[in-house]
Amino acid sequence: MSGAYAHEYNAETRRANRQRAKPGRSIILKIKRCDGPGKPSRWESFKVPVEPGSNVISCLKYIASHPVTTDGKRTTPVVWDSGCLEEVCGACTMVINGRVRQSCSCLIDEYAPDEGDTLTLEPMSKFPVIRDLWVDRERMFHALRRVKAWVPIDGTYNLGPGPKESPEHQQMRYALSECMTCGCCLEACPQYLQESDPEKWDTSFIGAAAINQVRLFNEHKTGKRLKADRLEALMGPGGITDCGNAQNCVKVCPKGIPLTESIAAVGRSTTVHAFTRFFKGR
Amino acid sequence: MNERQGFLDRHHFLLRRLHSLTGILPIGVFLIAHLTTNSSLAWGKYGLRAEGHGVPLVDGGVMYFNKEVAWINTQVPHLLLIEITLWASILFHSVLGVYYATTGRSNTARYPFQDNWRYTLQRISGYIGVAFIFYHVATLRWGWTFLVPGGTQWSHEFSASTLIAALQGSTGGWTPVGLAVSIAYFLGVSLLVFHFANGLWTAAITWGLTISQQAQRRWGVVCSAVGVGLMLAAWSALGAVFVGDYEAARAVEVRMLKDKYGEDHLNEVLEKQVPPHAAESQASVLSTD
Ligand code: SF4
Ligand code: SF4
Ligand code: FES
Repeated sequence: MSGAYAHEYNAETRRANRQRAKPGRSIILKIKRCDGPGKPSRWESFKVPVEPGSNVISCLKYIASHPVTTDGKRTTPVVWDSGCLEEVCGACTMVINGRVRQSCSCLIDEYAPDEGDTLTLEPMSKFPVIRDLWVDRERMFHALRRVKAWVPIDGTYNLGPGPKESPEHQQMRYALSECMTCGCCLEACPQYLQESDPEKWDTSFIGAAAINQVRLFNEHKTGKRLKADRLEALMGPGGITDCGNAQNCVKVCPKGIPLTESIAAVGRSTTVHAFTRFFKGR
Repeated sequence: MNERQGFLDRHHFLLRRLHSLTGILPIGVFLIAHLTTNSSLAWGKYGLRAEGHGVPLVDGGVMYFNKEVAWINTQVPHLLLIEITLWASILFHSVLGVYYATTGRSNTARYPFQDNWRYTLQRISGYIGVAFIFYHVATLRWGWTFLVPGGTQWSHEFSASTLIAALQGSTGGWTPVGLAVSIAYFLGVSLLVFHFANGLWTAAITWGLTISQQAQRRWGVVCSAVGVGLMLAAWSALGAVFVGDYEAARAVEVRMLKDKYGEDHLNEVLEKQVPPHAAESQASVLSTD
């Protein structure tokens, strides 16, 4: 499961594959399976007929109704998670041919254009597996709470008209707001490791997604009331300092969020915050 | 949570930023000065001005380098204080660096991006760099001659010749162990230059100086230029040592000492010098037998 897949990362190759893909073929889905938390994992292969436009989810649905391996053995249906089916919820994220991405938008034609080609599916490795391809991304949501990724309005009284926002600033924030908490950036990050003990989530590396949310909400005219709290949360163990600048996150983010710019921008904020705190006190 | 963890956690941000800072100041600044000085072994003839006329290139390098080393050892004020600050900084940067490096898991096999290789190489160069610096300082500065092939003791009066002997493995030319030491020097110094150039690039992100991708790219060009320049300085110095000849360099140094202090002092220096090399004394022992 390593460099052998490198060529498939290339958008050129994927486009070319799509053009030459043979209709009416069957492919092999090789799936890393696991019956539940803490259980050992195993590989099973399934033969699946595909049509133009088939994606990984449609293949998984086929397997759910024909749970028979290539050895002819009857098995349990493969479990996966999904929601929107249009790459906006992030629930269906998994590792496909060695690289993390959403499975709902993963076209078979791009990855397995020939009869009998194999496509490998694995659950993300940085989150605990619930079953088969379904993982628990709770630590990501915990991270959002850790940095107070919200705008503090309690809705009990009238706040008056909202603050003015320039179109440029709005555009900039829009790009940051597209995060769907899918976890791709964390799966690819060499500094983000699986931590199944929730007790340790407050001090283990928070990852690019939450750092980007800190920038988003600190840039919000009302949201920035919590700016100091957010920066303090990122200056402790497992905060922004633990980023090693490998910049994998920005390359795998399906939403094209400028994560490394966000990391640098928040880095600057923490620098300023630290100096201010040192000379001025809290 | 034990005591040590508590301390590290309470000062997490400060320690991380000090780790970043020490890599540039004083360590990086020292690296620039050190490699520039060393490279004069290659281009020194042209730095000698009038004195250099008619001097062969190799001898000119030895002369200039020897002058610079003598200047550092006799003129720079608070030399010991500077050295101790430097050693303390390197110790701090290395210990924390190794500890921080253990918090990651390299994944270049799955994500073979150039930046990811940089990340991995930064850690590898750190590990190897610490070992190399320790060997380098222990042998040439602290005089742990048992780790030097041929047992050469480096001395600042004979800076070039003793360096040649230490790297070539003997006072009489190349030995297999000398070759190994030289390869280690080449690898060690190259990796450290990379470590510094790359660290300079990532520090700008860490501190928040370069934010946009264009800014990061532009700063990347600057850091690459610094890296290439230092690499050339380091390699030219090593090249001069590799082609250097112990006896020839020593002859130049003796001449310089004589010119500077006169015959009497020269003899004093020569007597004071620790019997320079085990290889030679062994040879004389054998011949008297
Ligand atoms: S930042 Fe991108 S990769 Fe990371 S969770 Fe959000 S959408 Fe996914
Ligand atoms: S830049 Fe930081 S957050 Fe992004 S992949 Fe690298 S270490 Fe992880
Ligand atoms: S199902 Fe929502 S992103 Fe794939």
